Amino acid sequence: MSTLEKANNKRRIKEHNPILNFFTALVMIIVVVCCTVPFLYIIAMSFSSSVAITNNRVFLWPVDFNIEAYRSVYEYPNFFRAYGYTLLYTFGGTLISLIMMVLFAYPLSKEWLKGQKFAMRIVVFSMFFSGGMIPNFLLINSLHLVGTIWAILIPFAINQFNLIILINFFKSLPVEIEEAAVIDGLSYFGILVRIVLPMSGAAIATVGLYTAVFFWNNWFNALIYLKSSQYPVMMLLRNIVNGRTMVVDNGGIGEKSSLAIAIKSAVIIISSLPIIMLYPFLQKYFVKGMTVGAVKG
Amino acid sequence: MKKFLSLFLVTAMLLSLCSFAAMADEAPIKISIYYSDNSTLPFRADWRVISYLQEKYNVDLQFEPIPMTDYSTKVTNVLTTQGDDTPDVILGTSTSGGNASLALNGAAYAVSANPDWTPNFNARVAEFGLEDEVNTRKLGDGNLYYLPALYDIPFYDGGLILREDYLAAKGSEAPKTFDDLYAILKAYKEDYPESYPLTTIVRLSVLQRMTMPSWGVSVGVNGATGTRVLSWDYDTKTYFAGAISEQYKEYVTFFNKLYAEGLLDPEFAQDDASTTRKLATGLAMATYGYYDQIGGWEQASEIEGIKLNMYPSLEGPGGAHHQPKSSTGSGILFPAKTMQRPDFEQVVRKIDEIFFSEEAAKVWCIGIEGETYTMDGDKIVFSDEILAAPEGIYKYMQNAYGCGCDGTQLVWYNAREMTKYDENYAEINAAVAAMGDVIQYVPATPAFDDEVAEEVALLQTTLFDAFNVWDDGFLRGTKSIENDWDQFVQEMKDLGIEKFLALHNEYNIYK
Repeated sequence: MSTLEKANNKRRIKEHNPILNFFTALVMIIVVVCCTVPFLYIIAMSFSSSVAITNNRVFLWPVDFNIEAYRSVYEYPNFFRAYGYTLLYTFGGTLISLIMMVLFAYPLSKEWLKGQKFAMRIVVFSMFFSGGMIPNFLLINSLHLVGTIWAILIPFAINQFNLIILINFFKSLPVEIEEAAVIDGLSYFGILVRIVLPMSGAAIATVGLYTAVFFWNNWFNALIYLKSSQYPVMMLLRNIVNGRTMVVDNGGIGEKSSLAIAIKSAVIIISSLPIIMLYPFLQKYFVKGMTVGAVKG
Repeated sequence: MKKFLSLFLVTAMLLSLCSFAAMADEAPIKISIYYSDNSTLPFRADWRVISYLQEKYNVDLQFEPIPMTDYSTKVTNVLTTQGDDTPDVILGTSTSGGNASLALNGAAYAVSANPDWTPNFNARVAEFGLEDEVNTRKLGDGNLYYLPALYDIPFYDGGLILREDYLAAKGSEAPKTFDDLYAILKAYKEDYPESYPLTTIVRLSVLQRMTMPSWGVSVGVNGATGTRVLSWDYDTKTYFAGAISEQYKEYVTFFNKLYAEGLLDPEFAQDDASTTRKLATGLAMATYGYYDQIGGWEQASEIEGIKLNMYPSLEGPGGAHHQPKSSTGSGILFPAKTMQRPDFEQVVRKIDEIFFSEEAAKVWCIGIEGETYTMDGDKIVFSDEILAAPEGIYKYMQNAYGCGCDGTQLVWYNAREMTKYDENYAEINAAVAAMGDVIQYVPATPAFDDEVAEEVALLQTTLFDAFNVWDDGFLRGTKSIENDWDQFVQEMKDLGIEKFLALHNEYNIYK
């Protein structure tokens, strides 16, 4: 029996081993339960009354169903404006980021290009050593971007980690296809747009998802560079969840009344649900894309 | 002569008309303001007090509400960089911590440089007799870099809160001493063995800062001196090593007893929901918290007839004291960039008027006469709409009008504030005031130079780290107060508590 046959036999035994299958399924069920139960619990709390929550009557199903918590969050001043900005930063930022990263990654994937190695070293160096908050601020301020939405969209458009993923993916594409395109008369830009990008769905989706999540969750850059009228919703939600603890802890004279746990639960759902909903649509790319750029050649 | 007189009159009339027209056309001064936004009272630009004061003082106040959680980061950033987004005015800040060196290096305007520009602030300081205290807010170069909020009498807004209905059911008197409290907690534990009668809010340090002064000491993360291991001797106006004092030893012995007997909640750090659950379900019956919180805890409970109340400070070996409080608070700072404005003097004068004039202070507190209240002799009578508000006068006026927000109200008259609270709260505050010096002052930070400040900060970090471990050990009983005390004292001495103390007393500004 050849080595290949032996390996195939082993795989078949594994596939048809009911005990192994049972434990695999069991472990997977436990993992699913561990992931979903806390989320369902938070959803149930967000729709329940504070009294029911405080008295431990809520588990996976809302008790005294109401939408007061969501109403309170939505009535927070400027909530919808902030949500609009979050969508703008997420979609706009991701789009700009993908365009800039693709345009940067494609030439860097060509090792024969003059200066490619030097440019790569600069990319890697800046990944480990950044200027820090104040120099960055001074730079962005001197470009007169502070207080404009471009302060969020432009300076953070290129993430070195994602860029390297793209570079490695582009390197893994068969060079013969590009050579054929050159023979057919396509320019390098034409090759990128018509040949490389259509073949890079998984990489683009993966990097796009990472970038979208970054822009969705990003609050610190907004705090530093934006006016309060341009804040994303994460800034408001963070303040709703953490602000009161800070007041009580510091013992100032400020308002210290308690914030209902239902409101905190609603905040968690509002802030995480939209981005979680993206995953199922991108999963087919994402699963494949997890190893994107891992192997060259 | 007649002709001349008519000509003169006509000219005068024309001139006055012109000047009137010019005044009417005078554009309001635009002032951008950073505001620390509290999530439980989110800022609203349409608050009536703001529009009223803008009209009255002919200003356009452009508030930038910055979430409170990140406010200090943002303030430090703009003071450091003085970039395009630097506001004209920063509310709710001070020159403590890192802001001090920024101010000393020219990042902020020294308000004491032109006292005649802030006549209203000066008048309120004199009215409250706070000259000495305001002087203690000056930095090493002798300048004051911010206009602090001013309080005539510090508030007793938090303290011991416990189940009044339980006391009534047991026929017990309200506690006056910590021994009384111990007896009440003990009785509750006997009735409800699964409970931990005394719980905490946020973390144990809140309880500690409110109770320690009754032992004559205040140390820990929220200690009154800010040194974390030293305390203030109010008689000699000097520091002493509170962390290794007999007072602290007695204090920790008492709370260790509560812990050992299951009277003190072992969960020393917890969020709101956890404290609320314990108080609302009867797993706890007392805490050290804030009056504002009582309503929420009662509403969350299904226990019939539950009634929580706040009590004046209990008497301990060092007297009956609450956490020391300052009569000045965070206030107004002008970033250096504002000084570049050609109308800078006018900006400072306007800000002084809007926040510290007698009239504006009244507006920030109780609103507009004829709209939110009327005067019946000396008595303030709130409008029917406000009186009928289910959430109470104080809370309603905050939300609906923007009155009483600690970010914008910088002059606090205790008696006027009490008109907005329920009678019970006013009575408790009156009782505390009648007890004498329950709320002592917060001593000013010594005027260290940069080099000494660095040395002090290094010593403080190591001392506090060690103290933290021992404090927790003593409370939980993992370290024996009786047997390990000397070792603890020696360790603190080895880490330099004596030098730390000597430096504080050397630079003590009261000496």
